[in-house]
Amino acid sequence: MNNIALDAPSMAASVASGQTSARALLESCISRIEATDARVNAFTDKTLSRAFAEADAVDIGRASGQALGPLAGVPYAVKNLFDIDGVVTLAGSTINRNHAAATADAFLVKQMKAAGAVLVGALNMDEYAYGFTTENTHYGPCHNPHDLSRIAGGSSGGSGAAVAAGQVPITLGSDTNGSIRVPASLCGVWGLKPTFGRLSRRGTYPFVYSIDHLGPIASSLEGLALAYDALQSPDPLDAGCHALDIQPVMPLAGTGMDGLRVGVLGGYFHDHASPAAREVVALAAKTLGAKEEVIWPDAALARSAAFIITASEGGSLHLNDLRTRADEFEPLSVDRFMAGALQPADWTIKAHRVRRMYRDKVNALFKDWDILLTAATPVSAPMIGTQWLHINGIQHPARAAMGLLTQPISFAGCPVVAAPMWPTQTDGLPIAVQVIAAPWREDLAFRAAKVLEGAGVAHIKTASLA
Amino acid sequence: MNEADVLNYVHSTATLLGIPVDDERARRVASHLQRTVAMAAMLDAANLPAHAELAEIYCPAPFNFNNDERNKL
Repeated sequence: MNNIALDAPSMAASVASGQTSARALLESCISRIEATDARVNAFTDKTLSRAFAEADAVDIGRASGQALGPLAGVPYAVKNLFDIDGVVTLAGSTINRNHAAATADAFLVKQMKAAGAVLVGALNMDEYAYGFTTENTHYGPCHNPHDLSRIAGGSSGGSGAAVAAGQVPITLGSDTNGSIRVPASLCGVWGLKPTFGRLSRRGTYPFVYSIDHLGPIASSLEGLALAYDALQSPDPLDAGCHALDIQPVMPLAGTGMDGLRVGVLGGYFHDHASPAAREVVALAAKTLGAKEEVIWPDAALARSAAFIITASEGGSLHLNDLRTRADEFEPLSVDRFMAGALQPADWTIKAHRVRRMYRDKVNALFKDWDILLTAATPVSAPMIGTQWLHINGIQHPARAAMGLLTQPISFAGCPVVAAPMWPTQTDGLPIAVQVIAAPWREDLAFRAAKVLEGAGVAHIKTASLA
Repeated sequence: MNEADVLNYVHSTATLLGIPVDDERARRVASHLQRTVAMAAMLDAANLPAHAELAEIYCPAPFNFNNDERNKL
C-alpha cells in the first residue's frame, strides 16, 4: 500500500475494514521515511520498536473484535519538544541531551495513543522553538520537500516537512507566534492552531507560557479534524488548559457558507503580504464570497507585545544556561534569548496589559464577522540561509518576518486553520491562507476550510522526492 | 536611545544578571535589543488607563474545606 496516496481517515478506514493491517501501513511509512529523510531531515529520532508494538496491538485488537479508535493504525510523529516515554525531550537543543529520558508520554501523545495512532518518531525544530525556519545548527536544517534548497518553516519545520514528504499523514507541533501555521504554509499542508487554552500542553517543553499552543498538521482537512478531535480533553493539571469540555468538529459540516459572514483582513495584513500571498487570499475570498475588507485592531501593536513577551519569557526560562553554557545554544537564537533576558520589566508588564485590552477589541470584531482571511506567510519558502526579505519595497530580517502575519492572531488566541494554496507566481511553492474564527469557534474555521477544499482551491501536493 | 546607550545597558544588565558577555556578543545582543526598543515605544504610546490590568496568568487552585476543618477556624 502506498502511504503517499492515503490520508489519515483513509488509512484508518482501511485498517478498520481489514483491507490492510496497521503493521503493513507502518512498514510502508518506514520505507518512505528511509527513502526520503536523508534529503528532508525531518526526523531527529525514530521510535520503531514502540511503533511496531502499537501497530500490532491495533491488529490484534481488530482480530479479536475490539472497537478500534478513530485513528487506529495511523502513523504519526511529533515535534521533539513532546515527551515520549523513554526518549530524551530535545526541544531542538543539544543542552537537553543531558536530561533524563521522559518517564511518560505528553498528554497529547497519550490522547493519540488512546485513539489508536502509531507513534513513529520525533521531529526537527528550531532550538527551544525560537525561530520560524528550522535551520537548526545542531541537527541540520529541515529541507522543504517541494524544493530542498528552501526552508520548511518553523519552528515546527519537521512537522510540516514530514507530512509534505508523505512520510506520515499527521504530525503534532507547537505554535507560539506562528510555528504551526508558518511550516504548514511553506510546506503546503493543513495546519490547525486551536484556541489558546484548548489543548493541554502538559508534558511538552515550554517556550512562552503565556502564548504557547499545541496542534496538529495533516495531509487532509478531514485528517486534521480527526486528529484535533482525538486530542481534545480538559486537563485541570495544565494551568494553561482552559477547555471545559470536548467540542468535536467531526463529521465536518457540509452546510457550506450559509449564514457565515466572511471578511478579508486589510491594512497591516495587506501591507505585509507579497503579491503571491495576496493572490491566494483573493482566491479564498472569492470562493467564500467575501467582499469586504476588515481592519484587525492594533495588529502592529499586538505583534510588538507578543514579541516582547516571547523574548522576556524565553530569556527568563533559559537564564541559567545563558549564564553558564551560552556557547552550546543555537547560534541563530542565543543572542535573542540574551536580549530577551535583559528586557526591562516595564516592557513585559505593559505588553500583558495591552494584551488584555487587545483581547476585548478582537472579540468585538467577531460580533460582525464569523470568518476572517489573511495569508499565513508574507512570501513562499525562502532559500535556506536567507538573511533579508523585501516585502513590498521594505526590507525585513527574513527569519522574524515569517511571523508577521501570524503573530497578531495567536496573541489574541483565535483558532486558525491554515489552508494550503498554490499561487501562480511562486514556481510551484505554496502559501497558506489563515482561516480565522472567534475564540472557541474552531468549528466555523473548519466549515469555511471545507468549502475551500471542496472547491479545489485548497489542497496538498505531496512532494515526489523522486 | 542610541547604539552606545543600548550597548552600555547590555553590559550593565548582563553583569547584574550574571550573564558573561564579551564585546562581540554584547554588540550582537544590543542590535537585537535596539529593534525591541522600537517595539517597546509602541507600547509606551498605547493608551493604557490605570485600570487596564494584565492578561490573566495566575489562578488560585480550587480549595475545598470539609466541614470539620472549617469548624476549627
